[in-house]
Amino acid sequence: MSVEQTLRDYILENYLFTDDQSELNSADSFMGKGILDSTGIMEIIFFIEEQFNIKVEDEEMVPENLDSVNNLVAFIAKKSG
Amino acid sequence: MELLIQRLKNTASSLPQSIVVIQNGETYTYSDLWYRVVTVADRLKCSGLQSGQTVAMLMENSIDYIASLYGIWAAGGVTVALNTALKYRDLNHLVIHCGAQFLLSDGVHPELKTFIKDGSDRSLELIDVASLVTSGQVQSEIAPIENHSEYELVDIAEDAVASIIYTSGTTGHPKGVTLRQSNLSANTHAILQSLNISQADRVMCVLPFFYSYGNSVLHTHLWAGASLVLENSFMYPQKVLESMQVNESTTFCGVPSTFNLLLNRASIANTALPHLTTVTQAGGAMSKASISEFKSAWPQADFYVMYGQTEASARITCLAPDMLDSKLGSVGLPIQGVELEIRGEDNRSVPAGEQGEICIQGPNVMAGYWYDPEETQSVLKDGWLYTGDVGYRDEDGYVFIVGRNREMIKTGAHRIAPQEIEELILEVSGIEECAVVGVPDDLLGQVLKAVVVLGQDEQVSKQIIMKYCKDNLPQYKMPKQLEFVEALPKTASGKIQKHKLV
Repeated sequence: MSVEQTLRDYILENYLFTDDQSELNSADSFMGKGILDSTGIMEIIFFIEEQFNIKVEDEEMVPENLDSVNNLVAFIAKKSG
Repeated sequence: MELLIQRLKNTASSLPQSIVVIQNGETYTYSDLWYRVVTVADRLKCSGLQSGQTVAMLMENSIDYIASLYGIWAAGGVTVALNTALKYRDLNHLVIHCGAQFLLSDGVHPELKTFIKDGSDRSLELIDVASLVTSGQVQSEIAPIENHSEYELVDIAEDAVASIIYTSGTTGHPKGVTLRQSNLSANTHAILQSLNISQADRVMCVLPFFYSYGNSVLHTHLWAGASLVLENSFMYPQKVLESMQVNESTTFCGVPSTFNLLLNRASIANTALPHLTTVTQAGGAMSKASISEFKSAWPQADFYVMYGQTEASARITCLAPDMLDSKLGSVGLPIQGVELEIRGEDNRSVPAGEQGEICIQGPNVMAGYWYDPEETQSVLKDGWLYTGDVGYRDEDGYVFIVGRNREMIKTGAHRIAPQEIEELILEVSGIEECAVVGVPDDLLGQVLKAVVVLGQDEQVSKQIIMKYCKDNLPQYKMPKQLEFVEALPKTASGKIQKHKLV
């Protein structure tokens, strides 16, 4: 399964409580759309660290890296590359 | 007594070019703010607002929020700032409860479309303040306002109701804390006696103004003629630190979860904040270890611990920075004008060292709960406010909080009545019983756990329950854990033993 799909499934199941793929656009801002709160973003960080074997540094916890599925995909690719 | 609106008018006149707000790279002066205040006030007067009428507000922290709040007072109205995280069903309940004829908004809140859709069959006028200010449409409606600084305020009495702030009630229904103009002025003035806020200060605001802590940060800094840097999300604390650095913030105010987020998700040691001189913490106990960590990361800043509640306008006590080490764990001494007693079950004051309910008297104590005489009488007795908090005073009079005697869950900056969530979950078909408890959480202090009993032969998935909650609750009220059990633990008399569910 692609990184994007893995992230989408995780967010749909744990934060939007649905299987309906149309409920989440990969470009949606987690903050702007109210998909996640402060603890939710923390859980996402734990999830990607474990799932993709990367370490998110304090300075990297910014919306440019984390605030949408697309941003996460790009960030994970950069960290894994 | 100088009222807040009068004070702002004077500041706008004496310091017109001083910066009042910095947000998203935009800078606004006191003169800019006053123009907006007058615009809002005039619009409301044009629409027939009468003195003492309530006006609801639905907007995030912004220059327009401040203009709306003070504009309502300039027109003689009563402010009701609603929690922007709420969904329509809660918002609508509060608008009806407070009797507002007007709803001021930023024009972008996602629940506004439902208010607009329902608008045809109710007398609620929606006003988009952002458009109002940019269009300048009001100026031509009555007479042009030639000189904003000379704008005549509606005459309001000191004991007139200024604001209704809704807080979670133990019964699950929010209570409208009703504050007078004099309450807010007196508490603002008293806080200023404890904190050394000056015109040179620039406070980083991450706390929403619709809660009493954020509200008091707003009023105290406006009173001093200081500047406010507004950041409406704390999801990315590192961004907030960087904003403090860029904007040369002198002051930071937070609740324990704010500080936990900074410690866990930002680089406080590597982000230099040379201008920071003052840190205030309120909203619940913070661990001594965390306070020490901040003291070492920001050694140049004075760290104030404060305690209060909405019913007391905002603040009740303050621990001065120079007493932090010797009285660590205390919330300090009563601020100016506040009399505080620890009372036992017989409502009599108890000696130092003995625990009891924290009771206070002073000019900051609310008038009561809006149209709720029963709840009012349960906390206001003989002129004293029974806070519901349990604590003691040491031999030197310093106050220590040990807990709350009302069943409320405190998660982050929010207080939540479990009954409210239980009632909502019980609306899901197939659920027989439900209990919601607060379980410990490193980041937020507590998070919500829902324990559910299904009816016989019923099959309801966790996903269905959580989706129902998501559709009807703000994010902060969402249960983080959900557990199915065969039966809830109960006493012989049938009372649910919630402590066994934690």
